[in-house]
Amino acid sequence: MRVKLKSGRDQRKFIERIEELSGENVFACYQCGRCSAGCPVASEMDLLPNQIIRLVQMGLEEEALRSKTLFLCASCFTCESRCPKGIDMARVMEAVRHILDPKGRDAFGPGEVSPEVARDVPQQVLVSLFRKFSK
Amino acid sequence: MKIHYYPGCTLKQKTTALDISTREAMKRLDIELVEPEGWSCCGAEYPLTEEKIVGLAAPIRVLRQVRDEGGDVLVTTCSFCFAVLKRADKAVRDDPLKRKRINAFLRDDIKIDPLTKEKSTNFEDYNGEVQVLHLLEYLRDRVGYPKIREKLKRDLKSLPVAPYYGCRMLRPQEEMAVDNPDSPRLFEEFLEAVGCAAVDYPFKQECCGSYLSVSLPAAATEASYRVLRSARMNGAKAVAVTCPLCFYNMDHRQDAIKETFLDFPGLPVVFFTQVLAWALGVDKSVLGLGEHRVPADGVFGETPATEVRT
Amino acid sequence: MTAKAKNKEKRIGLFVCHCGVNIAGVVDVEKVAQVLKDYPGVTFSTDYVYMCSDPGQQMIIDTIKEKHLDGIIVAACSPTLHEKTFQEAARLAGLNPYQIEIANIREQDSWVHTDKEKATKKAVKIVKSHVAKARLNENLEPIKVDVNRRALVIGGGVSGLQAALDIADHGYEVIVVEKNPSIGGKMIQLSETFPTLDCSQCILTPKMVEVSRHPRIKLLTYHEVDSISGFVGNFKVRIRKKPRYVDETLCNLCNECEKVCPQVVPDEFNMGLSYRKAIYMPFPQAIPGTFTLDAEHCLGLNPVRCGKCKDVCEKKAIDYDMKETIVEEEVGAVVVATGYDLYTMQSLGEYGGEKYEDVVNGLEFERILSASGPTGGTIRRPSDGKIPKSVVFVQCSGSRDTEKHLPYCSKICCMYTAKHAMMYRHRVPDGQATVFYIDVRTGGKSFDEFYVRTIEEDKVLYLRGKVSKIFKEGDKLIVWGVDTLTGKKVEVEADMVVLAMAMVKADGVQDLLRKLKIATDIHGFLAEAHPKLRPVESLNAGFYLAGCAHGPKDIPETVAQASAAAAKVGNLFAQKELLHEPTVVPVNDELCSGCGICITMCPYVARSLDPARGVVVVNEILCEGCGACAAACPSGAAQQRNQTDNQIFSMLRAMLRE
Repeated sequence: MRVKLKSGRDQRKFIERIEELSGENVFACYQCGRCSAGCPVASEMDLLPNQIIRLVQMGLEEEALRSKTLFLCASCFTCESRCPKGIDMARVMEAVRHILDPKGRDAFGPGEVSPEVARDVPQQVLVSLFRKFSK
Repeated sequence: MKIHYYPGCTLKQKTTALDISTREAMKRLDIELVEPEGWSCCGAEYPLTEEKIVGLAAPIRVLRQVRDEGGDVLVTTCSFCFAVLKRADKAVRDDPLKRKRINAFLRDDIKIDPLTKEKSTNFEDYNGEVQVLHLLEYLRDRVGYPKIREKLKRDLKSLPVAPYYGCRMLRPQEEMAVDNPDSPRLFEEFLEAVGCAAVDYPFKQECCGSYLSVSLPAAATEASYRVLRSARMNGAKAVAVTCPLCFYNMDHRQDAIKETFLDFPGLPVVFFTQVLAWALGVDKSVLGLGEHRVPADGVFGETPATEVRT
Repeated sequence: MTAKAKNKEKRIGLFVCHCGVNIAGVVDVEKVAQVLKDYPGVTFSTDYVYMCSDPGQQMIIDTIKEKHLDGIIVAACSPTLHEKTFQEAARLAGLNPYQIEIANIREQDSWVHTDKEKATKKAVKIVKSHVAKARLNENLEPIKVDVNRRALVIGGGVSGLQAALDIADHGYEVIVVEKNPSIGGKMIQLSETFPTLDCSQCILTPKMVEVSRHPRIKLLTYHEVDSISGFVGNFKVRIRKKPRYVDETLCNLCNECEKVCPQVVPDEFNMGLSYRKAIYMPFPQAIPGTFTLDAEHCLGLNPVRCGKCKDVCEKKAIDYDMKETIVEEEVGAVVVATGYDLYTMQSLGEYGGEKYEDVVNGLEFERILSASGPTGGTIRRPSDGKIPKSVVFVQCSGSRDTEKHLPYCSKICCMYTAKHAMMYRHRVPDGQATVFYIDVRTGGKSFDEFYVRTIEEDKVLYLRGKVSKIFKEGDKLIVWGVDTLTGKKVEVEADMVVLAMAMVKADGVQDLLRKLKIATDIHGFLAEAHPKLRPVESLNAGFYLAGCAHGPKDIPETVAQASAAAAKVGNLFAQKELLHEPTVVPVNDELCSGCGICITMCPYVARSLDPARGVVVVNEILCEGCGACAAACPSGAAQQRNQTDNQIFSMLRAMLRE
């Protein structure tokens, strides 16, 4: 399947929005993959972190938004601490998630947590989890 | 010495061990902990997009309260809270637009005077006047290890303890500015100061799995297992943590870890403040050991409190 | 108007250049020429498309002759580009070159403004100021300077040796100063060199021997340059001769001293992977072939604590009383070839810093590969001597990192990593070699073909991804990397890891460079005069650059650059005499009070006090005409030729008047 890259304004819109939200220059990424190499959850992801930012660079909005990866990020900032170009990949992930918000995707909301688990876990887990992954 | 202290919601409910041991330890060091009046949950997550400014409201509110009570330092023990408070404070200090917006938002808040308990809504803008410190930093810089060594009542006989930093305390380095994320020394120096032998192992700042223990438990199980295994392989008798979530993932879920990774026999997980309190002579009964699912008695053995020769 | 130097008015020609649209696109050049036509002093005024072109210059020459002009203003680009061009044109027309004024209306006007009207007005002001100055310009003659046709080469690595040989073969005397006990630099530590797999020592030692035997080369090893004073063609060099405590003319390399020496020191030639004694020879082919006593690690020389080496020396070559002495030399040109070092592994905490013995850098691996190295050429890992069955090579360790380390590419790592992997596979055929890369850069001749062999013939696995973490688990090193091409995180268990550490400025050379006032770039590498057109000269006249001191490069480039530097030295020496710019700052004895303020201002140490007459004198050859003294002089005794206070004030008046 050949991907047709958008041109001009359309292509830039998505990228500019991500850059605006994250405060990062996505074009600084030279796809070394170090973020993925150090990510503790990468083996569970369908797309590696470096692939997500690659899709952003290419303006492939739908594919980026569809990935499961966005809701597996633990915000541990290992990617950020190792990136040779100083890109905070966690911020880019959050920016892509942010774009999804109005589309109302609830990747992991209160409905997914059983009462037993809710009683057992420290509340900071639920607060942070829902802030990240639910609308 | 009086110091403003932010426990965070989890420490008051589910993980009181961290709060109790902190208080007991500070008592021994003649430090009085003052909680800012009417504090609320910090929000747990520092908002990572430039537009989610409302996420700054909760932490800034807390910091403003500290400032209005005359404090210029806020100490916390939970790494999650530490990260949120510190980063929010820095954002307000460095970004004039964020500062303006969050102060405008918080102007409608209600203020409670700690002495008179009177309510008012008269607020001055918060401009980053409070310094946020992790207790480990506070102990090293403001209290000083020599003073701590003076007050030690138990000889921990170089018990090998693995310091576990986790993610939030050290990263992102530019904002947290605590230590070098890949070769830190802060926690090791603390352990050595209280009489333990700090174990050097390569997983001390690798993620424990964080909130994935609820949304994707398998990932958190593996992540925590790797930390514990590495600590054990390098000779640790316990892992010292500074975060209730790390504690949950590595202690409460250790059964799940053992079930998945049959080669792992187990390793106690303790809070650094429990170690500190214990070394300062606090009795076992007030360390909150009941909250542990993995017995930590091996760490807090039968050593009676005595005068320690320096 | 204040006092004029001449009685008659000058006849100045104004040529306003369009520079295509560079100037004319913003400044109305025709208007400028028009407005200035009747300005006092201007006899002729015109505009033209490209003044620097042949017809443009010819126009100047012809107009000078036809209109009997005695002053020229070229309103165009910066004088750094074409001042010499127009000075030469003037000279051809019989006019003194120092009557040329360049009015910069490009870099100072059209290139930095967008408002055309204002830019044109500004151009007029600029030109008027130069007319005011030109009216007071005097004819000047360049100052002639003798050239001492001897060269100094700092550094005895391949670049220094090559430059020395070329200069000496030209017929000039060369002094080579090397701070280590032997010449050879880093190249002598290498095992095989890409892409030919030549044995490094085999191809370098002939050059080393040639240098040591060359009739025109004076080789000073275990010496260090302390300071250089003077100026191009006339340098005075102060060199420190460090005490070797062994007379190299007597030492016969019997090795007896080494056998009895009790002090064991990590061997720096083998990158600390083996040991040497305090009295040692760095490597078998060392030149000069002599032992050296390392005083820092000797048990003690003053008083003598051991003395065993001296006892067994049958040639009586050992002398504990040797002292550091100073050698002074005079040369006309200096080639700086001080080499490089590797970035420290300590900065890479995520790779273990320097914790893990089996994580080595490129030079350490070279010694392990070398037949004369610590393992005799068998690849063994440092911790336990085991032959590694799985080796991981990590490229870009510290390079191409704008965040925490070095932003530049170290150029040679892709090639030497391929070579290392290839050598490993040749010697350990059942071993596995994995290379983690971001890109593979193979720009040189036969380089890509070499790299392709590594993959296709030697079956080295290249994974595209930057390694995030390396740590030890039991007996193995765990490498966390990624293959971005398949989108998979990978974990490799290695017995040994080789990091391609970034190339950085040579350790311990900074002080020397600062003392010599040689320009360096932000990374501490030598700065060339122009990155494209003048790659082997420093902006400091008389200093030439060669080798990795200038920036990361491989051996073919280094040799080429060294020969190029030698050629430039040859250019210098080929001149009968040097011509020094006459726009210096002489002293007017009658006005000078001998206060000495100007002496403190001069960065070239060109001025001094004549105690007999109580006035300041200037060495015009050292003076570079910077004008600092003229600005500071309270009495006006220091006036720069063709840039006097008078001229400057008249320029200001011309600009401010409307």
